[in-house]
Amino acid sequence: MKDIFKTGLILLIISVIAAMSLALTNEVTKDKIIEQRAMANELAKMQVLPEATRFEDVTGEMATEIIENYAPIVEAYIGYGSSDEIVGYVFKSKPTGFGGPMDVVTGINLNSEVTGLRVGSHQETPGLGAKGTDAAYYEQYAGKSAAELIGVSKTAASGNDIQAITGATITSDAITVGANASIDAFHMIIEQGGVGN
Amino acid sequence: MNIKNFTNGLIKENPIFVQLLGMCPTLAVTTSAVNGIGMGLATTAVLISSNAVISILRKFIPAKVRIPAFVVIIASFVTIVGMLMEAFTPSLFTALGLFIPLIVVNCIILARAESFAYKNGLVASLMDGAGMGLGFTLGLFVLGSVRELFGNGTIFDVSLLGANYKPALIMILPPGAFLALGILLALYNVVQIKSSK
Amino acid sequence: MESRLTVSSSPHIRSTETTQKIMRDVTIALLPAAAFGVYNFGLRALTILVLSIVSAMAAEALSQKIRKVPITVDDFSAVVTGLLLGMNLPVSVPLWLPIVGSAFAIIIVKQAFGGLGHNFMNPALAARAMLVASWPVEMTTWTAVKADAVSSATTLGILKEGLNVPVPSITDALLGTIGGCIGETSALLLLLGGIYLIYRGVISIRIPGLYIGTVAILTFIITGFDVQTTMLHVLAGGLILGAFFMATDYASSPITAKGQVIYAIGMGVITVVIRMYGGYPEGVSYSILLMNVVAPLIDKYTKPRVFGGAK
Repeated sequence: MKDIFKTGLILLIISVIAAMSLALTNEVTKDKIIEQRAMANELAKMQVLPEATRFEDVTGEMATEIIENYAPIVEAYIGYGSSDEIVGYVFKSKPTGFGGPMDVVTGINLNSEVTGLRVGSHQETPGLGAKGTDAAYYEQYAGKSAAELIGVSKTAASGNDIQAITGATITSDAITVGANASIDAFHMIIEQGGVGN
Repeated sequence: MNIKNFTNGLIKENPIFVQLLGMCPTLAVTTSAVNGIGMGLATTAVLISSNAVISILRKFIPAKVRIPAFVVIIASFVTIVGMLMEAFTPSLFTALGLFIPLIVVNCIILARAESFAYKNGLVASLMDGAGMGLGFTLGLFVLGSVRELFGNGTIFDVSLLGANYKPALIMILPPGAFLALGILLALYNVVQIKSSK
Repeated sequence: MESRLTVSSSPHIRSTETTQKIMRDVTIALLPAAAFGVYNFGLRALTILVLSIVSAMAAEALSQKIRKVPITVDDFSAVVTGLLLGMNLPVSVPLWLPIVGSAFAIIIVKQAFGGLGHNFMNPALAARAMLVASWPVEMTTWTAVKADAVSSATTLGILKEGLNVPVPSITDALLGTIGGCIGETSALLLLLGGIYLIYRGVISIRIPGLYIGTVAILTFIITGFDVQTTMLHVLAGGLILGAFFMATDYASSPITAKGQVIYAIGMGVITVVIRMYGGYPEGVSYSILLMNVVAPLIDKYTKPRVFGGAK
């Protein structure tokens, strides 16, 4: 009986010390980690909408409307320029590729032009679908008109069509689905007179 | 004596090529040389720390609860390493992602705690941890280099096989891990048999 | 029609001399379809077939030399592996690809596991799967038979993706004037080769018959009793080639009659599931490989009980 108490106590002491050291590390790294995550997020938004200097989340009814009716969009942001005017919108969508959901961030400016697109985390096949993260692929979206939807061509890019990644049509289609949902949501926002101040 | 504790893990009792321990991270993260080294060093850090602490506490921890005590200690170190990596080396953290928490279940660490650190002094345990950890790192690095070389034509992102080389994608896909490890194990055995003759 | 491989109680008479004869028969049976492939796709097809056969033989000799066992290149088994691999490649592949494939098939899949009779899966198919995973673009670029088209999808690819291209007729698929791998297009000549092998007693109708039957019946039901599509699924892909020449590989298929029935139906189901619901238009090679791996398990549960033995 005494033995059980003793071993239990020792285990307790070890656990308490472990918990304390974890708390300490957490205290040291917490701010840094939040900063890193925010930076990664901001950076992605900056890349797709270079004109903007800061971003704000789209919130309230508009956010619900976008997420409910413009799947696979999961988040939307308003981009502000240097003198606090709205320069465009950024949409984060999660279309389903060959290997599962993938993060696609699309930026559209007020001239109804797609300013950029990036593919974030994904599970596509290396060497095939994973080429969606190559500049040679995603740069195709920048400069496309948001007045109409973007198409996917297997052979060559033309007009508002991008050229699919060779051997990875499903991935290319999925990324374009994310881009087109963003275009639709963008038009909805503009028709409603925009959001933000 | 202590030097032998260190060198044992490098070649003669290499965790990957001889003991075949820690196969989950070995097969999963070695898609490139950098990932292999990153994972290896993270494991080494945990291994040295846990070996040291367990060696110091070996008289204090009752034999009956030694396994739960080991697990608490190892899990704490893994979490600490994970938090530090996310705060200070975010790109490596993204690359290794899921596999950092999995260091907890890496059998090398528990095996060294049980079979070495619990029975030996601090200095010897430190040496053993460093040797085994670096042996593991070496194994992951070799495997990662082979897979990166054939699967992508590069090592450390430096192109070695020229632009005309068509990478064998299978080598950076999961089956390639098994193929490469099998062939490397065979070569290792050939060398061992030849040199012991 | 009776199976050459009989499972019976001892005493057994072993004969190794038949390996060469059997493999020679398989080679003969494959030749008409291979020759048609050359006629269909041009001289480049011949180059690829020769390259894969020669490198398979060279790889066999080399690995047997390293393993210090008798070199048995003349038993035609490496020839069959090389020929099957070559027939399973598109004609447009770069010339080094059949060499890499043959080397993988012989050195890794066959010799590393102990050589003839010890391979746990069909070497040519394992090599094909490796090539598809490694160089997916090269392995799925199809050259049209007719000279005026630049690139053309396979019949199953057209069916799968609903491309805006006319689907070939059943006659085309039977004769083989369609897109596809070098040696898989002519269903008629492959069937002829299969019948020759059955006549010679090299294979039994059980595995290919049940395999093709399962695919046909399932496709017929799933497509809503569409005869045209069902016939194309049977004739146009790699089904005939796979069913007669690769699913029947002695070393990697079950040995008992009951086991072979399970094996063949399993392949049929997997093929249809991949073709209809999977990401690929064709599922023959993966279905055979998957059932190859299961074969020892099937054998374990279907082998005849020993009478009088303790349970």
